[in-house]
Amino acid sequence: MEEKRLSLRENLASLDRLQFLSVLALFFLGVASIFSAGAGFDGRGSGFAARQLLWGCLSAVAYLGVLQVGYARFLSWAYRIYAFALVLLFGVMVLGMTVKGSQSWFHLGFFRFQPAEFGKIALILVLAKHFCRYPPLTLPSFLGGLALAGVSGWLVLVQPDAGSAMVYGAIAMVTVAVAGAPWKYPAGLIGLMMAAVPLGWQFLKEYQKMRIRVFLDPWVDPLGAGYNVIQSRIAVGSGGLLGKGFMEGLQSKLRFLPEPHTDFIFSVYCEEFGFIGAVGMLLLFGVLFWRLIETAMRTKDSRAKVLIAGISAWIWFQMAESIGMSMGLLPVTGLPLPLVSYGGSSLLALSVALALAQSVYISTLKTY
Amino acid sequence: MPDFRPVLNLRLKLWRAAVLLSMGILVGGLYFFQVVHADTYIRLASNNRLRLIRFPPVRGEIYDRNGALLAVNVTTFDIMGYPMDIEKNDMPERLAELLSAHGIPYTAEDLSRSIKRQSWAPYRVVRLVGNITLAQMADLVADPEFPRELFPLPVWRRTYPAGSLASNITGYVGEISENELRQFSEGNYAAGDQIGKNGIERQYEDVLRGTPGEESVEVDARGRKIRTIDTRPAGRGEDLHLTLDLGAQRLAADLMKGYRGAIVVMDAHTGEVLVLYSSPSYDNNPLAWGVSLREWNALVKDPEKPMLDRSISGQYPPASTFKALMGLAALEEKETTTALTAHCSGAFTVGNRTFRCWKRSGHGTVNLLRALQESCDVYFYQVGLKLGISRILKWCSLFGLGSPTGIDLPGESPGVTAGPDWKRARFKESWYQGDTVNYSIGQGFLLTTPLQIARLYAVIANGGKLVRPHLSSTAGVVARNLSLEKKNLDVIRKGLDYVVRRGTGRQAGSFGITVAGKTGTAQNAHGDDHALFAGYAPMDNPKYVAVALIEAGLHGSSVASPMVGEILSYLLVPEARGKAQ
Repeated sequence: MEEKRLSLRENLASLDRLQFLSVLALFFLGVASIFSAGAGFDGRGSGFAARQLLWGCLSAVAYLGVLQVGYARFLSWAYRIYAFALVLLFGVMVLGMTVKGSQSWFHLGFFRFQPAEFGKIALILVLAKHFCRYPPLTLPSFLGGLALAGVSGWLVLVQPDAGSAMVYGAIAMVTVAVAGAPWKYPAGLIGLMMAAVPLGWQFLKEYQKMRIRVFLDPWVDPLGAGYNVIQSRIAVGSGGLLGKGFMEGLQSKLRFLPEPHTDFIFSVYCEEFGFIGAVGMLLLFGVLFWRLIETAMRTKDSRAKVLIAGISAWIWFQMAESIGMSMGLLPVTGLPLPLVSYGGSSLLALSVALALAQSVYISTLKTY
Repeated sequence: MPDFRPVLNLRLKLWRAAVLLSMGILVGGLYFFQVVHADTYIRLASNNRLRLIRFPPVRGEIYDRNGALLAVNVTTFDIMGYPMDIEKNDMPERLAELLSAHGIPYTAEDLSRSIKRQSWAPYRVVRLVGNITLAQMADLVADPEFPRELFPLPVWRRTYPAGSLASNITGYVGEISENELRQFSEGNYAAGDQIGKNGIERQYEDVLRGTPGEESVEVDARGRKIRTIDTRPAGRGEDLHLTLDLGAQRLAADLMKGYRGAIVVMDAHTGEVLVLYSSPSYDNNPLAWGVSLREWNALVKDPEKPMLDRSISGQYPPASTFKALMGLAALEEKETTTALTAHCSGAFTVGNRTFRCWKRSGHGTVNLLRALQESCDVYFYQVGLKLGISRILKWCSLFGLGSPTGIDLPGESPGVTAGPDWKRARFKESWYQGDTVNYSIGQGFLLTTPLQIARLYAVIANGGKLVRPHLSSTAGVVARNLSLEKKNLDVIRKGLDYVVRRGTGRQAGSFGITVAGKTGTAQNAHGDDHALFAGYAPMDNPKYVAVALIEAGLHGSSVASPMVGEILSYLLVPEARGKAQ
């Protein structure tokens, strides 16, 4: 069916404003926290914040571009995009073998590009398409979808980037559940995974095992891996109800917190803005999820429903993991807090995904 | 097709409920830490008096094959402190004053710069002053002015007893650079650490280094230690035993005195390297202790290039030593036999170009054995043309020319085996027969390292196995069988025997052992010809293979061949040591 395309102005006028404003608010809270976190590295702080703003501009351009193209075309290109993502992931893996040590990004001049982030969009698109062409009501179709997620997830896992691989897993689980798989399939899968935990332990790298042991008891290794967990929890807890105030957090300034501008950004934020600020940020995420899922319910396009389920799963998993980790309630994985943590590839990928969701929203307003 | 949308919407509602539930749990967690237990964490934060000290590991020592020390550690002291405590009270000024009063010249600016460079976190210890001797340290600590916030830390520094004798092999350690620090971001290194910069020190960094230790201490408000919270001792690095024979290496150094060049001796069967000397050499001790930029530049820009390891990184035409490979290739490819002869009139014409034999009057009628013995160029010109360039290149690559030997040292050169493709790409010229003629006597677009030549002769000596040279006794023997015909190898070995017995390499044979080998005189565009000799001993049951290369040493027969003879005799006849000649 041929549709009349909307102009950019018309597109912008029909955006889901609440969703857009929550995203914008999260981004600027992030920039402020990055600035504060960076102030600990004598003067380099403004550098990170400025770069994040630059990435924000770049992401805005991508956002508008995706809006104009529309989600339907992205879905029609899903398999090609997915294949391209696999090539990139494979490329980065080969590069990682030749360059000493692990490598999860391409150097693009000034910036580094992480294919694992791009791969999340590709995976969501291909799953949305796959599950609507072959609903996961039968075992082959269910396993087919898992295989799609498995291939790209495995390429990410061997980089090695276990954290991102878990995001791939979360995306696959949520999309398959939303796409209407009988409960016994995902339940069976989770059972299998539980059974495989002791086996999987053997394959973990020593630092990963340490992270899990430390999660169970940070004082196992108070100088090494546990140090981060203890210090992060001190940062969050010492924020109290109202926080110490913007730029007043000492835990991050004195470098008691590792990676304050990326992995532990939420701890920095919590120390300075307290419980009230933290709940405020969670409310913003809540609004975002509410609007995303609302859009998914409104659209008549089944593919778009699964698409948005995948996007929300991605943001939800990283949010829950990052916040849980900062309190020491979940193991350290190094996943960024979506829209808030410093990181260009992550921000760019998220803005593409959120623009896809907006594009779905706009399509629900059309009268036929 | 049934409409799934109601199912999907139901599932979406469930998903939304799950998301909201999880967020509720997160809010509960935050409430627990930030509201219920806030006091505890506020107290912990304000009392953050944890300090971290790092103990650099003791580096493994390096020995030669007889247990002689090549790299050892000596104790010195560093003066350490925490940035948190140093920043407070003019510490750099006070310390600089104290140090100069005790005869150790340091300025406050030096100290401040060094602190700033190492600062990673205010609670992580930094080094203010390094390389203090025990006596100096005792003197300083006894001074009542010595700041209580600082403390001495015993550290190991590296010295190389063999110095310039083996500096190309051991290399040296130095302070880790910012680039290296970024490269090794695994947390095993910190600013100010020592890291292998060259040679074995760099190649076996992982083995030699060990693991750093750490200690966390609680301090009072003035930065004085109250108690130790946790320690993790440093793990010593592993010692390394090399296959090098320092005695033979010393002999090589004596022989090379006054010359530029290299001597290589290798076990023909295992690839164990016993001698790897490059002349002139440099003393690596000052480098490990830190040299000024001026001294460093003087070393790097020295026209004699002492830091170039000529044995593995110098690239030279193999010259007539290449004829052994040419002869073997021709036999293997059935392009010649010992019965086949050629006439050498002193010159050979291809197209409109004339190529001379080194002996202008000619060698008359020669076969392969005689051609090797007298190093007749004309014979090998003809062999080369029969083989053709592609088959010559195939044999070069089979014997490992044009690629690194894989020795366990950094910075090895691959050599050059350039063929028609290369020439077309580089000069946009096609390959002439004259180029092949040049190749067949080891000149032209062919460059090898002395180690590659030694490896080539090891194949002949050991009966057809290409070995990988190595210096560490842990490296293990890697040998690839080239499946060469024994009778062909025997012909070449006989020819090489004749070279020393009655040909151009007679001077290699006057040291009480039977040596077989080949002389070479490499044309040098920049000056006098380079002299070469490659050989092995004992002749009938070869054990060691040796190569001597002397830059601008004119003829291989007079300078290089006695060197090889003497060093092989040193290794094979221990009782004759010191009595040679």
